[in-house]
Amino acid sequence: MGWFSSSSDAPKTASDGGRIAPDRSSRARCYEGRDLFFACLDRHDILDAIKEDKEVRRKCGKEIAEFDTACSAAWVKYFKEKRVMEFNRDKTIERIKKEDAAKVQDLKAQGWTAR
Amino acid sequence: MASTMRPMGRMLLRASRSTLLPVEYSTSRATQTALSVSKTSPFSNIQIANNGILTSHRAFSTSPLRSRKPTMGQLKARHSTGPFSWKSALLFVLTGGGMIIYFRVEKERLERKRIAEMSKGVGKPRVGGPFTLRDLDGKEFTAEDLKGKYSFVYFGFTHCPDICPDELDKMAEIIDKVKESTKGENIFLPVFITCDPVRDTPDVLREYLKEFHPDIIGLTGTYEAVKNVCKQYRVYFSTPKDIKPGEDYLVDHSIYFYLMDPDNDFVECIGRQDTPESATRTIMEHINDWKREGKPLRKD
Repeated sequence: MGWFSSSSDAPKTASDGGRIAPDRSSRARCYEGRDLFFACLDRHDILDAIKEDKEVRRKCGKEIAEFDTACSAAWVKYFKEKRVMEFNRDKTIERIKKEDAAKVQDLKAQGWTAR
Repeated sequence: MASTMRPMGRMLLRASRSTLLPVEYSTSRATQTALSVSKTSPFSNIQIANNGILTSHRAFSTSPLRSRKPTMGQLKARHSTGPFSWKSALLFVLTGGGMIIYFRVEKERLERKRIAEMSKGVGKPRVGGPFTLRDLDGKEFTAEDLKGKYSFVYFGFTHCPDICPDELDKMAEIIDKVKESTKGENIFLPVFITCDPVRDTPDVLREYLKEFHPDIIGLTGTYEAVKNVCKQYRVYFSTPKDIKPGEDYLVDHSIYFYLMDPDNDFVECIGRQDTPESATRTIMEHINDWKREGKPLRKD
């Protein structure tokens, strides 16, 4: 299972019996799986893959299966959460920018000039 | 910046009027004599040596009389332009320009020095301090081993999903760029300290760091030792509680590079917003300041 699914060697284990850290190529494989999965979510207008897990499995079944094999469970969870966090962050930045622009417009209308 | 420079320029103008121009006068006269001397070749030495009784040698000299005393024409020309000439103007512009550049460079240097000194001050939060860890060969590695060189410390863990690998790629680029800028002097020590000592054993770390840059020194230790070094460097990290052996987890941690000087005092943070270029520039500025002040560096 997991990361080394495409290689024939048995997965190496760390001293505590857990999986060893992924190398550069496994990381690349994981990022690729993630990008394909997120592209599918975008197509179906799904933001939070954890909350809407059932729908995700119905609509992007193939992609999520690939994502799950290419990355460890902790990474899958991390990337799903990060997607939501980044979306909210960008939305907040956008909103603040708009509010600022509106405020500047308002002040300019009152005869204020930027120094 | 510009506003502080303006009165400086005015002062220079005043100074050049009162002191520089008379100097210019006397040098122009000196060059005139020198020129005439070279024309009179065989007796020129005598002329200079016996300057006081020059008249007695006049008979042998081929140099015309006017060479030592300016003619009316020369005097008139000098009178018409006043104390200004293209030479004095050029001297003024070059000195002024030079001073402005010098003051700018000095100001930037002092600003960097202030940043570097800030962390050495009394009562300021100190970043970094004594620690004892083990390197990848199992040898003891302490804060003392960082002294004498600029060190570049990063905290991370090998199971890090995306930020650490990106930052370590950046670190590798910075290492090469600094190496190039210091012409291969061995004065820069890149260090990776794991925040996940349970999974990141020396063997795991070796395999992991090899993929980024062979120069990176990997350090690990007991959980207590790692916790201590993180505390010294004000690094926040949290390993989830109650992990069963073999369970998959991530470690939260701060993601800054810490630049430490050869006294092992904290200098500056390099963060996510820095590019390899901007980071290298910052590092090289501090290294060059250190060298300019003539402080010692370990090059072994």
